[in-house]
Amino acid sequence: MNSASVYELGRPAIRPRVSTWRHLQGTLKGSEYSWAIAFLVPYVGVFVAFVVYPAVYGLWMGSEPSLYTDLFSDPIYQSTLVNTLLFLGIAVNLKMFCALLLSGFFMRRGWWVKALLMIYVLPWAVPALPTFISIHWMLNGEWGLINNAIFQVFHVDGPSWLNTRWLALGSAIYSHIWKWMPFWTVILLAGRMAIPRDLYDAAKVDGASGWRQFVHINFPLLANLYLICTLLSTIFTLGDFNSVFFVTGGGPANSTHVLATLGIRDAFDLAQPRLGVAAVMSALPLMIPLVIILMRRLKTTEVQL
Amino acid sequence: MSATTLNRIAVTEHTARRAGQAARRRANLAEAAAMAFGVLLIVWTVVPLYNMVMVSLESHGDVFTDAVFPPHPSVASFWIVITEGYWYLEYFWHQFGNSLYVGAAVTVLTLLIGSLASFSIGRMRVRYGWLVSNAALLTYVIPASFLAIPFYRIMQSYGLSNNLWSVIAAEVTFATPYGIFIFSQYGRSIPIELDESARIDGASPLQIYLHIYLPMMAPALVAVGTYALLLAWNEYLYQFLLLSSKRSMTVPVALAQFLNSDEAPWNYMMATAIVYALPPLAVYYAFRGRMTAGLTMGGVKG
Amino acid sequence: MGDLSRRVMIRASVQLATVGALACPYIANAAATTATVWWVQGFAQEEDVAFRDMVAEYEKASGNTIDYSIIPYAPERQKIVSAITTGEVPDVFTANPAEIVALYAWQGKLVDVTDVVETQKSQYSETALLSAQCYNSVTKKRSFYGVPFTGAVLPIHIWKSLVEKAGHKIEDIPKTWDAYWDFFKGVQTKLRDQGVRNVYGQGIQVTTNGVDPNNTFHYFLIAYGGQDILTKDGQLHLDDPKIKDAVIKALTYPTTSYKAGFVPPSAINWNDADDNNAFHSKQVVMDLDGTISTEVAIIKNKEDYDDIVTMGLPLSNDGKPVPSQLTAVNALIPEGARNISVAKDFLKYFIQPKVNNEWLKVGLGRNIPVMPEIVKNDPWWLADPHRAAYTRQGVLGLTVPAYWAFNPAYAQVQSEHVWSTAWIDIMNGGMTAEAAAAKAYKRINDIFAKYPIMQS
Repeated sequence: MNSASVYELGRPAIRPRVSTWRHLQGTLKGSEYSWAIAFLVPYVGVFVAFVVYPAVYGLWMGSEPSLYTDLFSDPIYQSTLVNTLLFLGIAVNLKMFCALLLSGFFMRRGWWVKALLMIYVLPWAVPALPTFISIHWMLNGEWGLINNAIFQVFHVDGPSWLNTRWLALGSAIYSHIWKWMPFWTVILLAGRMAIPRDLYDAAKVDGASGWRQFVHINFPLLANLYLICTLLSTIFTLGDFNSVFFVTGGGPANSTHVLATLGIRDAFDLAQPRLGVAAVMSALPLMIPLVIILMRRLKTTEVQL
Repeated sequence: MSATTLNRIAVTEHTARRAGQAARRRANLAEAAAMAFGVLLIVWTVVPLYNMVMVSLESHGDVFTDAVFPPHPSVASFWIVITEGYWYLEYFWHQFGNSLYVGAAVTVLTLLIGSLASFSIGRMRVRYGWLVSNAALLTYVIPASFLAIPFYRIMQSYGLSNNLWSVIAAEVTFATPYGIFIFSQYGRSIPIELDESARIDGASPLQIYLHIYLPMMAPALVAVGTYALLLAWNEYLYQFLLLSSKRSMTVPVALAQFLNSDEAPWNYMMATAIVYALPPLAVYYAFRGRMTAGLTMGGVKG
Repeated sequence: MGDLSRRVMIRASVQLATVGALACPYIANAAATTATVWWVQGFAQEEDVAFRDMVAEYEKASGNTIDYSIIPYAPERQKIVSAITTGEVPDVFTANPAEIVALYAWQGKLVDVTDVVETQKSQYSETALLSAQCYNSVTKKRSFYGVPFTGAVLPIHIWKSLVEKAGHKIEDIPKTWDAYWDFFKGVQTKLRDQGVRNVYGQGIQVTTNGVDPNNTFHYFLIAYGGQDILTKDGQLHLDDPKIKDAVIKALTYPTTSYKAGFVPPSAINWNDADDNNAFHSKQVVMDLDGTISTEVAIIKNKEDYDDIVTMGLPLSNDGKPVPSQLTAVNALIPEGARNISVAKDFLKYFIQPKVNNEWLKVGLGRNIPVMPEIVKNDPWWLADPHRAAYTRQGVLGLTVPAYWAFNPAYAQVQSEHVWSTAWIDIMNGGMTAEAAAAKAYKRINDIFAKYPIMQS
């Protein structure tokens, strides 16, 4: 035995030191590791060049505390915050819930259901700008299609959809749901179709009705997907500029702005881009927890497999 | 057999027939209700689109009238769009070509970059790969409208101002994280043993990627490709900000010109929009079968 | 391009070629270099043609190159803001919206262009000169930061046929402010009695979108005697009883009309194009709207073109003429521009009366000159009835500059639409005029507190 120091004798068996490189490689052999890195480089490059750099620059733009005092003292800001929360709460949940129900509907057999699905997807496939402008005109109180139709059928003047705050906000929410519900319906439909048929067949043999099938088969399997979709949808909706801008323009009197449109208005109409950035940054306290939850959810599903 | 047994059989048969009839009636009612619902769904979907078509078929003076159906429908607006007969539409086909170019580039790049990254993280299981996929999600923390001005600045410093590639870069940035998400979910349904056996046979990662991964991922590729194309086609804010000359503009920016005029022929605008809407519709309908398959997510298993 | 455009181009080219030949003296021998110019797209195709040809003539005469982009209105606004923020600026751009000359001058982001303006100083109207003289908070004094090349006022546009259908004649319209506007209420009532369902008497832009509502409010304010709400020295006079009274009246009249149903309900959310749509579709009998683009847009429809009557403003309630507020449009050179000498040279060429006049004329006179001599020397301006009325109002008549030239704080008041918000508070929010005015005053004072102008 070599002369060992007192310390060495008392220590547990020492594992061989692993170099950082070896550690990073994990289970991959040498050349394979280079391939893996090479495959990752394009996306990492895109991320650094087009996400990190502008985000850092944007954060720097929004980093002055006086911007936030200006922002909070702007009379429009508070109503914008309320609008944004309402928009998120109502638009996302209503849309996802209806998408869930409709995805069940589209599971029906029949050629006409397939044809219906093709039509139903149109709002997502047709570009946003002209459809939202079309909705803006359609809802015009005096000569829009909706009020014309109401007059022809009921002989009364329809309400001015875009002239009061709550009707206008409702119109923006309607537009958003109209446009995006098909997208989420298709995703949930795909989720349903992935449920193995034998589960259903077994349940039917056991005498389960439609409702019980839903509760015991569909719901557990769809719940996670539904949650992930809701989170993703909330994130996307927070940044939805088109639905509000083209349908209500933020009006009347800037009463239907959401944070996304307020940011643009501050930046370009008031020629104060830093204020615009601050407006959007003020959504971060909501965004960051959402994204963290989403990342956690996705990670757990990965591990469980 | 005794009379009572025969009687009982007759009663049972009768009850069964009745039950069968009742079930059929219920099924028919349900089907009728479903069809009625289907009609409602069509109305919900089509009304704004109908308005678009109606305006495009009307002559300018009729746009703001009480009509529910176009009083004098004509396809003259479409002819003007196709022949570039109005000054806002001077470069329409060139701008349409720009949109196609942007859409195609965004689709191809998103698929390429997203699948490569997803392969590396999900199949080759590079260590700390989850960092990259989570970082990708962070892209969505910052809404696109926030990044608009910084994007303008950095495109200047990359020398890409007023260049279609600036828009392509922006769109790829926003489409790829979603693509990585879909690819990783879908990829779980492909057994890793395929990769392993190919490795043992001496295949390089590139070969595995090209010959095993991509072919098996085809439906997911279609799904993500369609998503990327529609994202680029639908996008407005970045194209608006980053492209300024008539020759570099895409169609949405050209459409926005109509909004700034004191007197725009709205029928031309809607006709332009309808022509512009045709390519993504065509792509979606061509690929919709594959697309649904591609969206099947491992996430269902929770 | 169609036949018509080719003809327009040929005609324009010939005109500008003649002018180019005469304009030589002002082309300095700047080294043959390139300047980047961002120009706003016109509202009519001819305006773009006019600009293109004018640039071509300049390039030929000076040997410099102008790398220009004609950009639609809203994208140009966004690009300008982004450019100034990031420092990647062109050499020349049009002030879009017009008030940014005051804002950016205050921030010290513009190049002093006194030398350019000096070349034609005697030609400019006083209003135009005042509109370009802005206060720089860095140097702490006023100077010329913009080169005015056109301006706009708000004339009144009336459908003659609708007035006649109600049984009146244009000559019947009263001459003083309140009576003038009230006349159209009567027209609406008579038309409705005849069964016309969707017609309104007054097209007043009580909205918070775009530039016109600010102008509309100011015109009412000035008519009621509130012109000096902000004076040349940049000081606010909100407490002056005469001003207070005018403000209340300017807040009351349009909102009362709206609530009584004489203004289309959707006016509350009009953008800059919607009011023109309403006018062209004969939804309103008359409107107060900037420039004669309303008429120029339908110049090819002779019947409707002749049916519109373009008028200047009526007299105030005490029979005195009401000055029209002129919004001058300036060309600006930002700090950090790469080629300031060529930029200045180009602008000096452009504001020569002959060149300026030709550019305006080829653009169908939708924009008016800010140099009265141009109009006095060229009868073209008074030939067409619409153009004549507009020219008399905006060039030969009494004008006052926009308020933001006096103090950039007012530019923010305008872009926040403080006054329009007050209107909507009254119409939708049920506030009284006094309460709405008080709320507006508070916001204005808060904004002005951020722009202290030192009096030299």
